[in-house]
Amino acid sequence: MQNPVIDITDLSKFYGRSRGIEHVNLEIGKGEIFGFIGPNGAGKSTTIRILMNLIFPTGGSARIMGMDVIRQTKEIMQKVGYIPSDANAYSSMDVNEFLNYSSRFYQLPDSSHRITELSRLFDLDLKRKIADLSMGNRKKVSIVQSLIHNPRLLIMDEPTTGLDPLMQSVFFELLRSENQRGMTVFFSSHILSEVQMLCKRVAIIKEGKIIQIEDIDNLRKKQLKKVFIEFGEEMNIDLFKILGTKNLNSGPGNVISFLYSGTINDLVSYLWEKKINNLIIEEPSLDEIFMHYYQI
Amino acid sequence: MNWNLFIKEIRRNFFSLILWIIIITLFITVTMSVYRTFLANQSKVVGMLSIVPAGLLQFKGISNFNDLLSALGFYAVNNIIYMMVLGSIYAIVISSNILLKEEYDKTAEYLLTRPVTRSEVFLSKLTVVSVNILLLNLVTTLAGFICVEIFKTGSFSIKAFLILSLYTLLLNILFGSIGLFLSVIVKRPRPITTFSIGIVLIMYFIYTLSRITEGIAKIGYLSPFKYVNTNVLDTAYGISPWNLLYFTGITLLLTIISYRIYLRKDIYT
Repeated sequence: MQNPVIDITDLSKFYGRSRGIEHVNLEIGKGEIFGFIGPNGAGKSTTIRILMNLIFPTGGSARIMGMDVIRQTKEIMQKVGYIPSDANAYSSMDVNEFLNYSSRFYQLPDSSHRITELSRLFDLDLKRKIADLSMGNRKKVSIVQSLIHNPRLLIMDEPTTGLDPLMQSVFFELLRSENQRGMTVFFSSHILSEVQMLCKRVAIIKEGKIIQIEDIDNLRKKQLKKVFIEFGEEMNIDLFKILGTKNLNSGPGNVISFLYSGTINDLVSYLWEKKINNLIIEEPSLDEIFMHYYQI
Repeated sequence: MNWNLFIKEIRRNFFSLILWIIIITLFITVTMSVYRTFLANQSKVVGMLSIVPAGLLQFKGISNFNDLLSALGFYAVNNIIYMMVLGSIYAIVISSNILLKEEYDKTAEYLLTRPVTRSEVFLSKLTVVSVNILLLNLVTTLAGFICVEIFKTGSFSIKAFLILSLYTLLLNILFGSIGLFLSVIVKRPRPITTFSIGIVLIMYFIYTLSRITEGIAKIGYLSPFKYVNTNVLDTAYGISPWNLLYFTGITLLLTIISYRIYLRKDIYT
């Protein structure tokens, strides 16, 4: 890839003897919305914290827009927005004071218009004290402060934590529109559906190592669902082996559960003449996906 | 240095500075207001003090009764407690919190992802600590000077007063650098205020203990208080180059080490 916005080479971080990440390699191009997924403790936050120069790598290097993340932090931060997983701000300030304080770091001629525009979008009360805000509202403040200076790259660590579904969709819409204006987005998540909704490519990290970098379209083809069926009569579990299911289990009350990677149409057709009391189809956990596709 | 950060920190610490200035000034004023009464009843007080064990008087910083008879001597004896001990507690508390608070309040992640280098963060916060310690010393010294001027019965050496004030400032700044050092070596971010105050009190305790117990006199050299000369009535009173080197050397050393550690410190929230 030519002139990647993020270029991570052989990056490792150990906390004493404990592993953070090991030999991570990643390139993210200009204008991409790139997802970084993995279960908790996989090394997503460690990678992001090294990119933001909050912690130092034990090996390898990372560059943002061609600049070294350790030596050129100030220049990098001028062009990067960051939303941490824990949205914390100075509790003694009110929202307006905090956002103005944030904008002064970028020496913007006038940020009031941008602050008003973003605050309105997220229905944020500028006069309220940070200390009095709920977790969701603090997250909104964190989102607004990250975008005040129109960054060329937005890095986010679990950005939707605390946001209600309505605000999540407002936020995703904003990300799409900023992306169309040229902003690159790199974000971590352990929720596959939100990554699928936004990203063009994803990197899957597990136990500190990147195990796969995939186009989101390929991942979509692997639509894996977790299915629970409660039958109105006793059912032979072996009947479901023919569907290409995995992790097939039967429980009390004629309940059968399995992971299913086929189409929902095929499943419904197969169940058409069976007596069913309840049918639940949900997103599997990332661990289950990893077990299914990557055998890790 | 980053002005945005500097101004925010000055504002954040302003109320606490004013509070400490009021407390120390109040202590000095109340103590100095007793001076005239002390003089009027000096025969009775000296009689009372003569039955107090010498060690206990040394503990209070009184080595010679005559020291108490001059306004400057009286001020110097009490200055130890109010300006040196309380001033040092203020210095170590503000300096140990200024960087660490960002970590345990979980705002360090926000601050360090602004377009500002760690070096600028450290220098801005160091300047805030220095300005606060300087202002505290300036105002309380001025209050002390006014008190000595008001309550004096004869003339006193302004030079001796200024040297004593310089010792106080150097001591406060030294404890400021100890606080800064403590804050950067803490592994898990948490408030260390109690621990910092404990260090000042232990140092003062070591110093006073070494003064009253001959056998452990040398232990006193471990305490910065030992290097403060309060014999303001001594005709040769001054600040020795060695003492000056001690204060500036340790302060600079601890500040530089703290700076180097902070530049490479992993910030967890």
